[in-house]
Amino acid sequence: MRRLLPLLALFFCASSPALAQTLTLSLSPTVITFPSSDPDTVPLISAPPVQVAYRIRANGNSPWSLTVLAAGDLVAGASRIDISNVTWVATPAPPFQNGTLSKTVAQRVASGNGNVNPDTLGSITFRLANSWTYNPGSYTQTVLFTLSVP
Amino acid sequence: MRGSRSARAARPAFPMRVIAPALFLLLVVAAGRVPAAQTSTATLNASINSVARLSLSSAALTFPDADPDTVPSIQASQGPITVTAKARTSPNGTITLTVRASDELRSGLNTIPASNITWVAAGAGFSNGTLSATTAQAVATWTGSGVRAGTQTFFFRNIWSYATGTYTLTITYTLSAA
Repeated sequence: MRRLLPLLALFFCASSPALAQTLTLSLSPTVITFPSSDPDTVPLISAPPVQVAYRIRANGNSPWSLTVLAAGDLVAGASRIDISNVTWVATPAPPFQNGTLSKTVAQRVASGNGNVNPDTLGSITFRLANSWTYNPGSYTQTVLFTLSVP
Repeated sequence: MRGSRSARAARPAFPMRVIAPALFLLLVVAAGRVPAAQTSTATLNASINSVARLSLSSAALTFPDADPDTVPSIQASQGPITVTAKARTSPNGTITLTVRASDELRSGLNTIPASNITWVAAGAGFSNGTLSATTAQAVATWTGSGVRAGTQTFFFRNIWSYATGTYTLTITYTLSAA
């Protein structure tokens, strides 16, 4: 028992912060649609804003971050639009920041320290750079938002 | 003496009575750990429709009067006309730009065939040609979506047989994608 007690104590010490952290994240809507537009008149197509609700509890003063990663380029059959043509404008700033989608590296959408409680809202407006070079089609791709603490 | 030593040796270092609750507590604690990341997925949809746009640097062409002997081919006073064609089509789709005269050149009852107007083109996909009042003539062809530009310089064949007058006609450009 003398040997077990320190082990248990160590386990409790190591696991205590993770035990307390509670993260919640939700998006609305979860389908983001860019309407077709004439590239000359609408060079940047805006989708309706996405509301991000997030909450971080019992995080102490530790940092947190919200990132987004695209699963690939926008795809319509054999046609592709590079995902880097999708950018976003996010508010409020801080903790939110503007950025450009990537399919290789998760991009930071928001970051901060400590707790965010109760549920707090942010707004993200995605924009697609419109171009005459695109092929007609219905393009789609998924993006993954991750709210994390270290 | 021997029995006492034997009893001490048989006693486990951590009695089961103590270990079992401790392990249970450990499992409960481990199972109750909250993940340090929360994810949510969204879907991006983008509709890209076929669309085409054509622009000309000038909407009028004027051929000044000239002596047929000294100027057998009159260049339009506007000089080269810049044609900009923007279109979206399938990856191997063909984009075609044509021009057609609405009629012959007319001045009252007098006419001059539209075929007396020709053009010299410059730019990728563009080709030289002759106006026709009956058939649309190809000005340029391309493959795939994009923005293309070129020029057309128009010339009027000047001959002595024309009746005097001010002649006009309308030409119509058509940009299409297939």
